[in-house]
Amino acid sequence: MNSNWRIKPGDKIFRPRRIRRYHLRRVLGVAAVFSAGYGNVGSSIYYALGIVALAAMGATPIALSIAGILFIFTAFTYAEGTAMLPEAGGSASFARHGFNDATGFIAGWALMLSYIVTISISSFTIPPYLGYFWEPFKGSPIIGTLASMGIVVFLMIINVIGVKETSILNIGAAIIDITTQVSLVVIGVLLILIPNPAILVQHMFAPGNWPTFDNLILGIALASIAYTGIETMSQMAEETRQPEKRVPKALIMMIVTVLVIFAGISLVSLSAMTPHELANEWSRDPVAGIAASIPSALIRTILEPLIAILAGTILLIATNAGLIGISRLAFSLGSHNLIPPALSRVHPRFKTPYVSIILFSTIALLILSPGFFATDVFKNMGTLYAFGSLLAFMFAHASILSLRAKKPELPRPFKIGWNIRIRGREMPISAMLGLAATSIIWIIILITQPNSRWVGIAWMVAGLIIYYFYRRKQHMSPTQTGEEVGEHRG
Amino acid sequence: MEFHNILVPVTGSEADEEAMKLACRLAKKNKAKIRAVYVITVKRTLPLDAEIEPEIQKAEGILDHIERVAEEQDYEVETDLLQAREAGPTIVDDAVEQEADLILMGVKYKRRFGQFSLGSTVLYVLRNAPCRVILYHQYTP
Repeated sequence: MNSNWRIKPGDKIFRPRRIRRYHLRRVLGVAAVFSAGYGNVGSSIYYALGIVALAAMGATPIALSIAGILFIFTAFTYAEGTAMLPEAGGSASFARHGFNDATGFIAGWALMLSYIVTISISSFTIPPYLGYFWEPFKGSPIIGTLASMGIVVFLMIINVIGVKETSILNIGAAIIDITTQVSLVVIGVLLILIPNPAILVQHMFAPGNWPTFDNLILGIALASIAYTGIETMSQMAEETRQPEKRVPKALIMMIVTVLVIFAGISLVSLSAMTPHELANEWSRDPVAGIAASIPSALIRTILEPLIAILAGTILLIATNAGLIGISRLAFSLGSHNLIPPALSRVHPRFKTPYVSIILFSTIALLILSPGFFATDVFKNMGTLYAFGSLLAFMFAHASILSLRAKKPELPRPFKIGWNIRIRGREMPISAMLGLAATSIIWIIILITQPNSRWVGIAWMVAGLIIYYFYRRKQHMSPTQTGEEVGEHRG
Repeated sequence: MEFHNILVPVTGSEADEEAMKLACRLAKKNKAKIRAVYVITVKRTLPLDAEIEPEIQKAEGILDHIERVAEEQDYEVETDLLQAREAGPTIVDDAVEQEADLILMGVKYKRRFGQFSLGSTVLYVLRNAPCRVILYHQYTP
């Protein structure tokens, strides 16, 4: 570069900045969006099955199916919201547009909790799967938890440094994931279920296997964690070519795939194991439990190490997706003045949001730390995950309904069908049912799960305090929106 | 060879200047349009529309400089700053969208694992470009 040229005092450059971002001309297609979403939602079966079985026992497939219907409603809500507002932020973005900044913050803060627990829970379940190669990974809580923490620290470092990653990785992982899961279901049906169909009925309905009504409801609540991760697809919208068409298409593809595969895996798992085995011995690595129960020694020899490696890899990608998701969300919230800008600070050399990556990884490590001592930490992580995710889903449904009422003129490239008219406005039945169901399940978790209740509430209260003081410092009212600020200033 | 629309991706290397001078020479004959673009690659931990101020300032400086190089050659160029996840697909997309008939890139001598390396962006452009590509390799004694 010519080093003689310098801006002289008094020089002013009036030319507008050249920047032309690619948020409107994007490169991802349906396959990439589907893969990113499936990488997140599809990976949850590797731990959700065990958590659901802890409560729902023999009714695990039923709990997963009922939660699956709820998932369809949520997916429709996200399809309409994302096609209408293709920007990073997911439910936080819907809530900000549908209500105000304070609501956007609450939804975003709840979503942050859900991302942090994704990091913790995914990393927590990697060592048990790797236990096939070295038993202490599964058997020793100290070694297992240390390994999980090591994984989080490793991912934290590579994300701060900013290792290059392409969407091809996601597509490859999704293909391997689906192939493995489908193979497992087919092998399980052929070798376990068809030779002895009565065993499934016995494992589901025999005395001691069917749960109490309260546990069934809790099982349904816990099953909702199997379907979280849908936010990832929403975040990918800003990078997708024609997001208004492709994101809903990818979402619908994912609903079908997830429901079919999860139904298959849950049925095969209960054919292969008793609910007690699933909920105790194999609670943290239920898919490995299926592989270990295949009657053919030859298939077992191939499948067991394969599941250990694949599940470990997929959960590692899911842990990383949680870390990427939360840092993007923090940046998005920061750019709308919802959280202090320190959390969006970018490293001068690595060009990554290092403050948020380090902070949220540290919180994920704290959530993992009871793993050294407590035996029920896994279930508590699951309920905490559900606490955050369901709260974010509630806001997503409510925001879509609010936007239908307040801004009916907004272009909706994907509009949910089955509407009823309320005061002249079309309201989607699925969003109303979704809102009611997620609210009820969230309240059940709040009432029945003391650990998640207090940790979740403490997280939300701490966030609201930070939000209140930050907005006060900025001379903005908590409910004021960014657009209003612009109007006042402009 | 005749060109009417030349795309010159720049990175701030010494090779950019010579590549731009060559582009000006090739363009003069048919009064071709020249576009110089700089791609800010955004890490996946940030939203795609994140404004990274130091990166924007650096890119603006590089594009200002390349404009002056063209002015010295008595030629006017368009400049643009793009923000994307990866440089290679962005350059190819831009060439398609702007109907470029030539991509002219300056290549700096780089070694990777002891071997000369073109780098992933240049290789991607060579494999996927919708038009002719000329590489200007910076001689390093």
